[in-house]
Amino acid sequence: MATDSDRGGRLALPVVLVLVAGCALPLAVLFVFSFFQVDFVAILKVPTLKNYIKVASSPTYRSLIGQAIASGLTVAAISAVIGYPLAWVIAKRVHFMKSACLTLLLIPLYTGDLVRIFAWRVVLGAEGVINAFLMWAGLVREPIRALLFSPFATHVVLTYDYLPFMVLGLWLAFESLDDHLLEAARDLGASEATIFRRIVLPLTSPGLIAGGMMVFVLVVGDYLTPQLIGGSSGVTVISAINDLFGTAFDWPLGSAIASSLLLILGVLIAAAALVVGRSTWGRAVVGGE
Amino acid sequence: MARSPLGTRFAWTHVGLVYAFMYLPVAVIALFSFNASAIIAFPLQGFTLDWYARILVDARILGGLGVTFAVAIPTAVLSTVLGAMAALALTRHALRWRKTFACLLFLPFLVPKVILAVAQLIVLSELGITKGVTTMVLGQTLIILPFTTLVIASVLIRLDRRLEEAAADLGASRAQIFRRVLFPLMKNGLLAAFFVAFVLSSSEYVVTSFLSGRSQPLSILVASDFRFNLSPTLDALAVLMVTANLALVAIGEIIRLRARR
Repeated sequence: MATDSDRGGRLALPVVLVLVAGCALPLAVLFVFSFFQVDFVAILKVPTLKNYIKVASSPTYRSLIGQAIASGLTVAAISAVIGYPLAWVIAKRVHFMKSACLTLLLIPLYTGDLVRIFAWRVVLGAEGVINAFLMWAGLVREPIRALLFSPFATHVVLTYDYLPFMVLGLWLAFESLDDHLLEAARDLGASEATIFRRIVLPLTSPGLIAGGMMVFVLVVGDYLTPQLIGGSSGVTVISAINDLFGTAFDWPLGSAIASSLLLILGVLIAAAALVVGRSTWGRAVVGGE
Repeated sequence: MARSPLGTRFAWTHVGLVYAFMYLPVAVIALFSFNASAIIAFPLQGFTLDWYARILVDARILGGLGVTFAVAIPTAVLSTVLGAMAALALTRHALRWRKTFACLLFLPFLVPKVILAVAQLIVLSELGITKGVTTMVLGQTLIILPFTTLVIASVLIRLDRRLEEAAADLGASRAQIFRRVLFPLMKNGLLAAFFVAFVLSSSEYVVTSFLSGRSQPLSILVASDFRFNLSPTLDALAVLMVTANLALVAIGEIIRLRARR
């Protein structure tokens, strides 16, 4: 007699096979390739640590990885500040059409990376919407060129791209926040600031971390936005990997950079997951029912 | 927290500003797609439908649309079927490796797309597999799977399990329970997942660009146009794509909400 776990396993098996063959296995091969070396147009399959030494000793790659992590943290922080009040309003103040509000927020996600970037170029460009408005209002005489093709522009668009993920995480946390706790605290004479610091923030922090983690990972992995919006600041660790697999043809070095980045991301994600998993909210979500 | 009228007003203003921020780019594109000037800049020059008319006669764009459909339909079917299996395994069974399975399932979402794509590229070249529609379908299915699983799981979690238990008590086999009880109840979730997958597939760029061979879908064609010449035709195309996507998402969402009742 098959147990319930066996039946679930049979159902999950094809999915596991696809994920292993399409994702886990290629990543393992990538890791193996990071120990090979390249000789003109051929890849020598002789194990070496040369690539990792190159990554660790090159100031360029080190700073690119550092920049990617800094960008990820910055955008995660900005989206947290923007998303926090928004998630609160949707979860606690909207009663009618709540799901419509959320859907409306998610819709820009479905427009596609390219369309979004294209639109932002029109908004931020020298002859774009913002500059046209500023000139018309007489606030500036010449268009502000730094609006587009700058780190500023990249961060604006990245925030735009990934804000919905932050709001989603926060919204889930706010939905499971029991209003009675706030009332009880208020009855006991706690000030609004104290309630926020002692009750609301701790209870929503798992959502904050989960949302922040998603935004962080997506920003670090973003390829198109820095490239097409950042101008000369658009070189990222991801575009470096891309170049090594394209024109530069150094797959082993590209693999070593990618593996290093994945390792760093893995450690950070594991740390965040540990924090979320320890909270009651995290257990409720990860635990299913 | 923000109980005062001032605090609430501040919060609502903030919400309004965020929604404006989210829709500003979409609105701007729509505006310029009707503007009677080849230059995408203010001031506006008058109304035209010319840019839309040009798309309809552009053989290259229509060809790309064909490839997009050839990729998006199998991708949507595959990621919906796999997503349903994953969601059923997660919500309906006591899985022994539950956490490991969930981690594996979200791995394609967490790994940067370029890294995933180059890793797949190495495997393809080692095995000597030619890139084309099949590789695009498989690559996209992987990154869309986390999304379809979530959509279907969100429907399954809300279903009353007593219905299945009642059917089992009345002597229905597992196949009968699935066919007569579970499937009709989760059908709307499956449709919603299918639409979401279709939309994500048609707008995906990074993985698609690595895995596409000679047959190039619309998203790749748009990307190369976009690097070299910005024209209002692209605006019009973007508006059409967004409108089609929104219609599909809206249909999916309506279906999913109906499934909750």
